[in-house]
Amino acid sequence: MTLGTPWRAVGHLVLVLLCLSMVVPLLVALGMAFKPPNEVYSLVPWPQAPTLDNFRRLFEQVPFHLYLWNSVATTALRVGGQIVIAVLCAYAFARWEFPGREWLFGAVLGAMMVPHTLTMIPIYMMIAELQWFDTWRALVIPNLAMPFAVFLLRQHFRSFPRELFDAAEMDGAGHWRALWLVVLPNLKPVLSALAIILFIDCWNEYFWPLLVTDAPESRTVQIGIREFLEADHNDFGGLMAGVTLASLPALAVFFVFQRKVMDTFVASGIK
Amino acid sequence: MTATATPLGTAAPLPLRGRQWPLAPFLYLAPMIVLLAVFTYWPLLHTIYLSFVQWNMNPDQPMRWVGAANYSGIFNSPLFDAAFRNTLIYIVASIPLKVLLPIPIAIFVWTLATRGQVYRALLFLPTLFSFTVVAVVFLWLLNPIGGHFVQVARLLGGQWPNVLTDPDLAIWTILLISTWKVIGFNTLLYVAGLASINRDYVEAMRLDGASDWSLVRHLLWPLLTPTTLFVLISTVIFAIQQVFTPIDIMTEGGPQNGTTNLFYMVYQYAFRTFNVGFGAAGTVIIFAFLLAITLIKMRTLDRHVQYQQ
Repeated sequence: MTLGTPWRAVGHLVLVLLCLSMVVPLLVALGMAFKPPNEVYSLVPWPQAPTLDNFRRLFEQVPFHLYLWNSVATTALRVGGQIVIAVLCAYAFARWEFPGREWLFGAVLGAMMVPHTLTMIPIYMMIAELQWFDTWRALVIPNLAMPFAVFLLRQHFRSFPRELFDAAEMDGAGHWRALWLVVLPNLKPVLSALAIILFIDCWNEYFWPLLVTDAPESRTVQIGIREFLEADHNDFGGLMAGVTLASLPALAVFFVFQRKVMDTFVASGIK
Repeated sequence: MTATATPLGTAAPLPLRGRQWPLAPFLYLAPMIVLLAVFTYWPLLHTIYLSFVQWNMNPDQPMRWVGAANYSGIFNSPLFDAAFRNTLIYIVASIPLKVLLPIPIAIFVWTLATRGQVYRALLFLPTLFSFTVVAVVFLWLLNPIGGHFVQVARLLGGQWPNVLTDPDLAIWTILLISTWKVIGFNTLLYVAGLASINRDYVEAMRLDGASDWSLVRHLLWPLLTPTTLFVLISTVIFAIQQVFTPIDIMTEGGPQNGTTNLFYMVYQYAFRTFNVGFGAAGTVIIFAFLLAITLIKMRTLDRHVQYQQ
């Protein structure tokens, strides 16, 4: 479909403005991270005399290296756990007919409709009772079930040729070996895409870590940025250094897997 | 995959064979089911119970059954009035900004076909950044002492108001920032929805003399309705839940409860003043609110939605 020239011009204009409005604030923030204090109020987005001082102050003021370590470790544990548990679950639903199958599947998908908003108070009470505050357990375990991942994997099992299962059976492979030898190798593309989505989702999380961590050494990166903001409301250079470090992993993943990330995100609807 | 392969979805799953342990499927399911029972379904029920008690999170204090007192307490509080009104503003204002505005943008990007790659990549950019980062960056840009908005306004001879301390402007600031965060993503959702349209078919309609407008009206819009419905639902949940982060970082619900919403109210009750009963009752109200919106949407949209295929 082609549009008339005036409409095309309007369209490009709107999109260029929109894209600029997205890129400019991010570039300003990136530039700020490398600006010395006397340039902070300059409207020129890049530093005249670039410095790493902001990063030094960031690590001096708050234990940012611990925030990074907590984020890396809990994200790895959580995403790994989410994928293993979802694969096991989707495999059972795809492979067998058993009593209660429809009912259980409904229960799993139904949980997708329950926002965390509705369950946070009792979970918080459990964490308190177990004395899990300020631990990785509190960050990881309540978030291990990811019904959305089961849903996505099931879509892929649907196009999975049943002959592969039958062939594995004929070779004498039990269900456990069939999962490892036949199913997982064929799921590689969707599993890596899923891992990317879950990684960004977990890395960027704010609410839950805010609730269950309090000690400075147990905070994650996103909460750490807020911590730094509270500590010094005027050190925007240091703040933007933190912002840059907090955004790097997701950006790196995007630049490496650009197409895959975009397609999977759009297919999933996660923000 | 060969053409003769039978997809699992079309054939019935394998029945349990004799030599297999009949409990095998349940072992595979167990981790997911147990986690959902403990961390989704049980808390959902527990919240309803908690909404009828008075408790302050202190394990040494007993819970006291107070019946519906928490509900009447919330309904009579000015905080609830503000939170409820703001939640409606967040939702209603989000519809033109986050649900409708992306549609014409998406149609334009779609007409560019592969030449629109750069636009797509840039539109996706804000999705990668956490809401924390976005809120902090805008906090800087909007800051009243030398923030970029203030400076640019001064260069142009105007004055930039302190939007975050103005009770009327603060909520719109948060709304626009959350629009900034999701508009590109929603646009890409619509572009994905349009991707299934065969361009030859469009050209054929074009040769038959169809105008731009009638193409949009009779072909593109009907095909986009399922996507629109999806974007609408996620936008409503977004307006209740995700907006928590910019509220907490930029205004903490203020000024004068001008930016708080139902979720932020629940957070304050339950985790700031440790009034568990009020927090739980607020949660149940959100649940009822979501349920009501879902039902209204299903009733009004079911008649209009045209599913493709």
